[in-house]
Parts: sequence; C-alpha cells; structure tokens
Amino acid sequence: MDVTPEERVRIATDFIKAAPPGEFKEVVSDVRILLGDDSLLSKASGVFYEYATDQFTTVDLPDGERALVTKYGHIADNTFFDPRSRKSFKYDYLKNEARDVAELEESPGDEEKWRAAVDSALKPYLDECFPNHYSAVYGRVEGGEVVITVCLEDHKYNPSNFWNGKWLSRWELAFSESEGTEGVMKGMMNVKVHYYEDGNVQLLSNKTVEDRVPISTPGSVAEKLVGIIRKFEVEYQMAINENYTSMSNTTFKALRRNLPVTQSLIDWHKLHGLQVGKDIMNR
Amino acid sequence: MTDQQLDCALDLMRRLPPQGIEKNLEDLIDLVPVMCEDLLASVDQPLKIAKDSRMNKDYLLCDYNRDGDSYRSPWSNEYDPPIEDGSVPSPKLRNLEKEANCAFDVYREQYFEGGISSCYFWDMGGEASFGFAGAILIKKTGDGRKGFKGSWDSIHVIEVQEKTAGRSAHYKLISTVMLWIVNNNEKSGTMDLGGSLSRQAEKDAPVTDLSSHIVNIGQMVEKMENNIRSTLDTIYFGRTRDIVNETRSIVALQDKARMDSVNKELFKALDDKNKKPVQ
Repeated sequence: MDVTPEERVRIATDFIKAAPPGEFKEVVSDVRILLGDDSLLSKASGVFYEYATDQFTTVDLPDGERALVTKYGHIADNTFFDPRSRKSFKYDYLKNEARDVAELEESPGDEEKWRAAVDSALKPYLDECFPNHYSAVYGRVEGGEVVITVCLEDHKYNPSNFWNGKWLSRWELAFSESEGTEGVMKGMMNVKVHYYEDGNVQLLSNKTVEDRVPISTPGSVAEKLVGIIRKFEVEYQMAINENYTSMSNTTFKALRRNLPVTQSLIDWHKLHGLQVGKDIMNR
Repeated sequence: MTDQQLDCALDLMRRLPPQGIEKNLEDLIDLVPVMCEDLLASVDQPLKIAKDSRMNKDYLLCDYNRDGDSYRSPWSNEYDPPIEDGSVPSPKLRNLEKEANCAFDVYREQYFEGGISSCYFWDMGGEASFGFAGAILIKKTGDGRKGFKGSWDSIHVIEVQEKTAGRSAHYKLISTVMLWIVNNNEKSGTMDLGGSLSRQAEKDAPVTDLSSHIVNIGQMVEKMENNIRSTLDTIYFGRTRDIVNETRSIVALQDKARMDSVNKELFKALDDKNKKPVQ
C-alpha cells in the first residue's frame, strides 16, 4: 500500500529537521531527489524556518555584522532582525544568505537598557571562551515583566575531513524592574557533533538549568547573569569531558575487552578441540 | 528507482543521526518502496534478538538469515515462523556453519564475556571451485553501571573463494561495528554518543581441509575487530571530544594563545640547542 502525499511530506520534514550541523543543504538535496516531486517539497518547506531558528543559524550581513536566525528575531515570513545593529534582513534558507538589509523603524523600548547592558557584559566572556562566536541578545516586555533572551552559537565545520560540530545555548531571564526582587533564569545548552569518515558517528547532548538572579541596576544584573552563564557552561563542558573519560575507561572496556584474559590472540587451531561450543550444536 | 535515488538514500543514512536508524530506514522505504530490498541489504541496523525455543538459545536477526518474514536459527537450522522451502545452506556448508558458530561462541566469550553471537553461511562460487559467503554477528549490551547504557553490534560479512587447485583461498571481509553509549546525569544532562564505523580487508590464505576456513576467517575477523575497536576508541572518545572542545574552549583563549606561543619558543630553543656543535 502506497503512502499518502501527506505522509511523504511528513517523512521529508522529519529528515530535514534531523540534518546535522553544517549539512542542511546536502540533506535537502537528498530529500528532494527521493521525494521526486517539487510540489511536495514546497509543502515541506515550512520546516526550513523551524530548522534554521532551532539551530540558531548564523548569517553574515553584507556589511560584515554577525547575525543569528532565531524565532526571537523573527518579524514576518523570512524577515528577521539583529538586535545589536538594529537591522532587519531577508533570509534565504537554502543559500544561507541575508539581503535587503534595512534599519528597524521602531525605536527600542524601555527594555533596551537591560538588553544593551547584557550584550555589553557578554562580549569579553564570549571572546574568552568561544573561538568563533555569534550571539544575539533580545529584549522584550511581556506581561509586565522584562524578558532578556541571550542566544549563543559557535560551530566548526570541516566537511573535507568529514566532521562538523556545533554548540548553542539560550539563556532567558524574566523579571520585574523593581529593585530587591529576583528574576527567574532558564538556560538550555546543546552540543551536536557529526563524524562521518567511513562511518557515521554522532554526539547529541543537551542540558537545561534554572537559577535566580537578584535585580538591581542593569550593569549589575548583566554582570551577574554573565557570571551564571559562565558557571553553568563551564560545568556542562567539564561534565561532558569527564563523561568521555568514564565512557572510554569503564563502559567501553566492559563491552569488549582489548584482548582475552590470556593477554594473547586466540589460537584458532586449538578451538576445534574445545567442547563448549560443540555441546550446543549436538543437542 | 534510479541509481541516483539509491545514492541519495545511502548519503542520507550517513548524515542522519544514527540514533534514529530504524525509524529512518522505515521512512526511507515508505518514501521509495522499490528501494526496499536494496536498502535492507546495504544499510546495517542494530541487531535484533530472537529465541530458538527448541534449542533454548538466543540468536541474532539480520538480512542474511531472513527469508520473507521468517528468520533461520543457526542452532536448529529452522525458520521461525516456519516456511516451506526456506533458503538453507547445502549440507556440506551447514556443517561448516555449525563449526563456525561453535568457534565464534568461544571467541565471543573470550572478548565480550557475555553477549550473543550467530554465524550464517550461504553457497556461492562457480562450478570450478568451492566458494561461499557468510555473516558473523555479535551483540553485547552493557549492564548500565554508573548510569552509562551501552551496546555493541558487530556485523562481519565474509566472501570466500577457493582457488581451483584447492590449496588456498581468497578471503574478502567487510566489517561494520555499531557502538552506542547513552548517559543521563545531573551534571552533563543527556549525552548520546552513537553510530558505526566500517572497514574492509582482503587476503589469501592456505587451505588444507574445510576447517582451515574457520581458522582463516577467525584470524581475519579477530584482527579486524581489534583494529576497529581501537579506531572506535580514538574516534568516539578522542575525535568527537576534540570537536566539542573546538566549539568552546575551557582554557581561556587568550591564555591558550599565550601557552601555544610559549611552547613554540621552548621548542625552538631546544632545537637551536641541539643544533649547536659540541665544543
């Protein structure tokens, strides 16, 4: 029984959503040929927005500014904005290009002083820890609270050596502007690695955390927030590294030994004499 | 189906997270049904386990012991569910297959200290000389200690062709090992490391009697698996870890740059010292 067109679109969508970092175009190209019907691919193209924004896709604006494509910066259709430069741009998902860059017309609101303070406090931390970082700090007011959303991304793509890797993290602080209160911070860190020389090996890792931040001046809140981000990110990265050591020394060894207990290779000529296996066959 | 479609399907399977292999394969087959047989033959999947109730022993399932929707047990040589005229090896080959299952049962115990193994042979080769192919499968699941769940699947496919003189044979081995390790804990969140690596080898080896094949295949598989095990260690726990640390640096980048430049100076000084002629 053939699958319905809707099901084919669902399959195409699932495949594209799972594309490893840096391989979006290749996966879309494969899916296109397997679908064999561009009208169905159009129906699946809603997933382009989902993929690009979930992955904090990086794009360089024509004048060299580094921008992120995220749902927090989504204006309409394929138009996004970068909060630091206050520029809007049209994003081409398949080409990974920004064009039609324009100044945002609206002036920023009250939340801008918090947003700018965090953006500014973040820079030395990013320069210290991320070799090639892209970031975007968004500010908005929601239900009487200021919400600052920090999106961080750093990736290393090396397809000619068959590997790609990406780190992304999102830190959201929601608070009311009264001094002496505490803001609630929710964080998410995500790491993906794909190694594919003569094989396919992937690391998928993520962690969510929560904390509280005392509210006072924008400068002070920004410093505290960056301090907390640093603490959580270092802890996560160190834990990943410790896990790797455990995996190699304990889990992997317990799956298959380096050599038999005898510390030498098996004598296959001798195996014919061993009754152990033969008993099973002669039942 | 076109050749291009199969190429794209295989390319996709190399890019999509291996953590979703089974679902991805099902979806691919749904998308291009005519590719079904080709995909099942070329895409390795984690091995499933079935029980031979008559012999009370587990065996592994793969495309090589499948006929329609039934699978053949290497212990009883019977299909489950039973079918008429299920494909089985010739009597001569079946004897060799039994010997192989015994031998690899011991191999498995020595290296894996547990787990399940199964060998399946099928007839091949022309009228001029004896030839056959086989699949040697091993599956081991970790005990979940320290919160790490792991599993290892080996799929070795061997082609054997005796030379017309009958004194030696040519062996061609294609091996795939799938390794999965998952951990969930408070400090590192979820860490899911999985996938597979494949390698090939070929050799000629002397043959004195039919049992020589077991020795030759055994030595080849053992060497190959040890090799792949070492590579897995390097790639999984070395390479992917390095890549993580390339996206974010634990050591402050400025300090790292300073350290790199100090090291450079140091090595240069040592080099210069070594070059100076002894007075």
